[in-house]
Order: sequence, then structure tokens, then C-alpha cells
Amino acid sequence: MDQFIEQIVTGLSIGSILLLVALGLSIIYGSMGIINLAHGEFVMLGAYAAWVFHTYLGLGLLASLVPIFLVVAAFGWVIERFVLSLLNNRPLDTILATWGVGIMLQQAVRLMVGSELRYVQLPPALSDSMDVFGIPVSSYRVFLFVVSIALFGATWLLMNRTTVGMKLRAIIQDRSVAASFGINAKRVYALTFAYGAGLAGLAGALVSPLKSVSPDMGTGYVVDAFMVVVLGGVQSLAGTVASAFILGELSGGIAFLQNDTVAKAIVLLAIVVLIRFRPEGLFTARVRA
Amino acid sequence: MPSHVPHSSGLQRLIAQLAPLLIVCAVVFALPVLLNNDFLLNKVARYLVLGILTISLGLSWGFGGILNLGQAMSFGLGSYAMAMTLKLKTVPVHTGASGLPDFMVWNNVAHLPWFWEPFRSLSFAIAAGLIGPALVAAALGWFMFRGRVTGVYVSIITLATMVVINLVIIDQQSYTGGFNGITDLAQLELFGVAFDAYGRATYYLVASCVLLSLLVAFAFTKSKAGLIVQAIRDHESRVRYFGYDVALYQIFVFALSAAIAGLAGMLYTVVMEFASPTFLGVQLSLSVVVWCAVGGRQSLVGAFLGAVLVAGMQGALSESAAFLETWTLVMGALFVLVVLFLPKGLAGLAQAALRWTVQRRQAAGRDVAQGVGQTEGST
Repeated sequence: MDQFIEQIVTGLSIGSILLLVALGLSIIYGSMGIINLAHGEFVMLGAYAAWVFHTYLGLGLLASLVPIFLVVAAFGWVIERFVLSLLNNRPLDTILATWGVGIMLQQAVRLMVGSELRYVQLPPALSDSMDVFGIPVSSYRVFLFVVSIALFGATWLLMNRTTVGMKLRAIIQDRSVAASFGINAKRVYALTFAYGAGLAGLAGALVSPLKSVSPDMGTGYVVDAFMVVVLGGVQSLAGTVASAFILGELSGGIAFLQNDTVAKAIVLLAIVVLIRFRPEGLFTARVRA
Repeated sequence: MPSHVPHSSGLQRLIAQLAPLLIVCAVVFALPVLLNNDFLLNKVARYLVLGILTISLGLSWGFGGILNLGQAMSFGLGSYAMAMTLKLKTVPVHTGASGLPDFMVWNNVAHLPWFWEPFRSLSFAIAAGLIGPALVAAALGWFMFRGRVTGVYVSIITLATMVVINLVIIDQQSYTGGFNGITDLAQLELFGVAFDAYGRATYYLVASCVLLSLLVAFAFTKSKAGLIVQAIRDHESRVRYFGYDVALYQIFVFALSAAIAGLAGMLYTVVMEFASPTFLGVQLSLSVVVWCAVGGRQSLVGAFLGAVLVAGMQGALSESAAFLETWTLVMGALFVLVVLFLPKGLAGLAQAALRWTVQRRQAAGRDVAQGVGQTEGST
């Protein structure tokens, strides 16, 4: 029984990291229809930003979260403005362009700070462990879980209870009608992309104490994040949350029964089958309206 | 403006279209005469093989509109088919066990697994390297295209499938050599000719396969099926309303592309003298997309040259680590620019330049003619 609960808690922990990484991607993909392959690199930038703030400015991880969000969001804004906004109605090409941008970001980081592994310290206040249902769990993982849910809440509020969110939803429904009502679609898109990138940066900063930081760390995250978004369904924030935890529990469980490789292969296969059989919504390749 | 060459017959047009293909192949065949260095020749052969792989992607992506992010899957399967048969041809010196590959002995496998058994025959392996990837692709294509999966979902499925196969190969170390791949291979011997990786024979084998792949792909794009495939790329539902079985044509071009990629994979094993899980890795698969986009996805020769030039450049710069890193950065930027501003790649640029010069010349010719007419009129 203890083992079972432990398994559940591990799954929740994996799921909260997945949710953190996938949230930004879900916003960008769901609202703009852009397959952002540079998403993993935004995660990587966030992790490096945490490292830079810590090493050179002596800022703790928690104190640097807001500046990290802003820095990575600024990167996202520039990329949307100068690359992606030129690719209206060419969704397949956004895959290629964002991948090229990803290579550049990765390589730029490698040239500037080297490809050695970097480590970010756990916030001292969260470095102990606490009891969850009688199981000792690292406080930091509990913190991650809470933060991921909080960020999801904030995103939901932003989408559904603010003017910017309402404008974005109007554009998703019909860009030209929205534009004729005076909504500046370009500006809203740029802001959305920046917000998604900023979320990815936060995710990178938050996972950086758990994993080592390297220029190519993003590659793994982008694949996982995609699987979460595809499973959850486009344009459904709640679906993203559900699928993040489903995938977290699934991969935790299969990894426990078999091994990590088999877990990954089975989850991927399940997603392939899902894409094929889950009808509309998943299948209609959306074009940036 | 209507066609600028007024009296071009079909044959003339065909020759004009074949010309770049034949010129490139002539250069490829002539290269050993200029390059008197076996080591360099081996490197060039490697880039040519990657060129064949990129032709195969151009066929499915540029002509079929199917962006296969798992193109390296077929390449890897071909590569393993060749490596398996060549491994079984090695003299079992190190192992002691009769005919059992060394890595199996190290992993305590007592008998050759059943799926290795037929690879004792070279002809089976070559057939498997061509037909195997085609069958896998046809099955995957049937799975996807019968369900009318399109666009980015095709890309995600192909990528995920390749990753799964890659994971399985790495995981099943005792049957596949795992992470290390299959190394220490015998030389390929075909019709009494031994193909040493550094020999001329191997180079000419690769060059002939370049010619063959280009011709097969070219013939396909000019065939009726090829035209229908291009029509599907441009407007899928319109072709469906005409009554064509869209999925069938997509499956066919997908499988043909996989077979060519399988051929490239087999050659790669011969040239590199091993097979490795990285041959069906995400890195290679995405690189192929870059080469294809830079060279020109809608031009077979363009895709081929894109691969040879970009991969060759990368290889030439890889002697110095700093150069290579900067080059990767430049490559990324170049790629983004090509995607943004040159959707048809360098081949598209070359075609536009050619058209421009032809028009200029014709315009000049017209001016002269008009000038002559005027002077005649005035006299």
C-alpha cells in the first residue's frame, strides 16, 4: 500500500513538471496554431537565466523567478515579431522556422557559456522533506506541484477574465472580424507568444535544481510537452492539466513495472494511436487565422 | 507571359529538365579523376549517400506534401539490414562461438535469434533493406492516411514512431548491439567485387545509386501517379472529389520514399563500416529536413546538392571545434532565412535567376528586332 501511494506521489511529481513545461506550449499551440519546436530552448534559457542570476548576481532561485519570466518572454516577443509573424498561413513552416531558431539559441548558449553541465542550488528553505500521506517527499517537489497548479490558475484567469484574454479568444474565433472591431491581432499574438515563452522560462528555472543544466536539455522537454498537449487536446487548458498528470502517472507506473525506456516507448505509441483515432479537433491541422 | 520558348516540343522540355540531373551525375562520376585521395573520396561518398537520403525526403515532402520527420527511420532500417548480413559474414575469430556475432556472445545469447537467420543470405538482406522500410512505411502510411491524418500530425506520428524504434533498438542490446550498434563488419562482396569503404569500387557503387535514385524519383514525378501526388499536395480535397483514392497515392509515395531511404541506409553502412542507433536518430532526421529545405524541397537535384554541400561544409569545418560551433549557429540562421524568404530553397533561387536571364535576353532580342523594324520603316 505504501508503495502504491509512493508511486502515485512520484507520478504527481512527474506530472507537475510536465504541466509546467507544457502550459506555455499549450497556450502558443492552442491559440496561434504554431508548433513551437524552440519551446525546449526557452526552457533551457530559463534554466540558464536561473544559473546566471545565482552565480553572477547572487540572487536566490525564488527571488529571480520574475526577472527570468520577463527575460525569456522578451526573447519570445522578439522571435514572434521578426520570424513567426512572417509565416502567416504556413503552419508547417513554423515547425521548421522555430526549429532553426532553437538551433541558434542552443548554439549561442553553447558558444557563450560552454557546454559543461551547470548546477543550480535548491532554495535553502525548501531543501528538507515533508510527510505526504505518511510518505516522505522532498519539499521542493511539493512546491513545484503547488506552483504548477498556481500557474495554471493564473493562465486560466488571464485567458478567461481579462481583456487581453478576451481579445485573444476573439482572434482565435475569427481574426478578420476581430480586427474589424479594432483588435490589434499582431500585438495580441506577440504578447501571447511572449507569455508562453515566459512560462517555459519559468519551467526551466524551476526544474533546474532537480536536473543538470546544459545547452541541449530542451530537446527532451519539447517532445514530452508535445505529447501532453496532443493528448490533452488543442485549446483546452483543463485538458492539458489532466493529460500532464495522466502521462506523469502512466510513465511513473510503467517505469516502475518495466523500465524507463519501455515506459517512454509505450507512452509514445499510445499517443500515436490516439492521434489517429481521436477525431476532429486533434486532426484538423489548424491554420493561423 | 506565355511560354518564353515558343517552339519547345515535349522532348526538348524533357531534355531541359533532365540536363541539371545529368550534369550533376557527370560531375559525381568524374570526381575520382580529380580527387586522388582515398580518404577524401570516402568522405565524399558519405555525403553522396546523405544526398540520396535527402532526395527521398524531397520526394515525400516536396512532391507529396508529407513532412516526414522520421525519414531517418527507413535509413536506419536499411543500414541495420546491411550491417546484420555483413556481421554474419565475419570470421568468428574473437568469439569462438560458431557464427554468432560478438556482442551476442557478450550478452550471453546462445543461439542466433530467428530474425537474424535469413540475413545469412546477402540477397535477402539487400531485398530486406529495400522492401523492409517500404513495407513499414506502407503500414504506417495506411494507418495515417486512411484516417485522413494530415499536416503537422503526420510529422508528429512519424517522429514518434522513429523514436519508438530507436528506443527499442537501444533497449534490446543482446539482439541489436544496443547503444554501440553493430560494428566490426565484413566487406560487402557483390558479383565478385569487394567493396572496400575506401576503395574506388565503393565510390562508383554510391555514384551509380545516386544516378539510379535521381532517375527513379524523376520518372515518378513525371508519371501520372506522380502528378496526382503533386495535385494532392496542392489541394487534397479537390483530388478526392475527382474520385481518386487519395490515401493510396500518399501511401505509395511514402513507401517509395522509404525504399530510397533504405537504399541510402545500406550504402551508409558500407561506407561507414558500422550501423548505429544514431542513424535513426532525431538529430539526423531533422538535419535531412534542413538539407532538403536549403537545397530546394521541390527540386530533386536541389535537395541532393543541398545535402552534399551543407553536410560537406559541416564535415570540412569539423576539424576545428570552434569553427564547427560557429557554423552550426550560421546554419541555424541560414535555415531560418531560407524558410522565411526562399520556400523553394537554393534551387528555386537558381531557377528564378535562370528565368530572369532568359527573359532579359529575349527582351533584348525583341528590342533589336523592333529597332530593325523601325529603321526599315523609316527608310
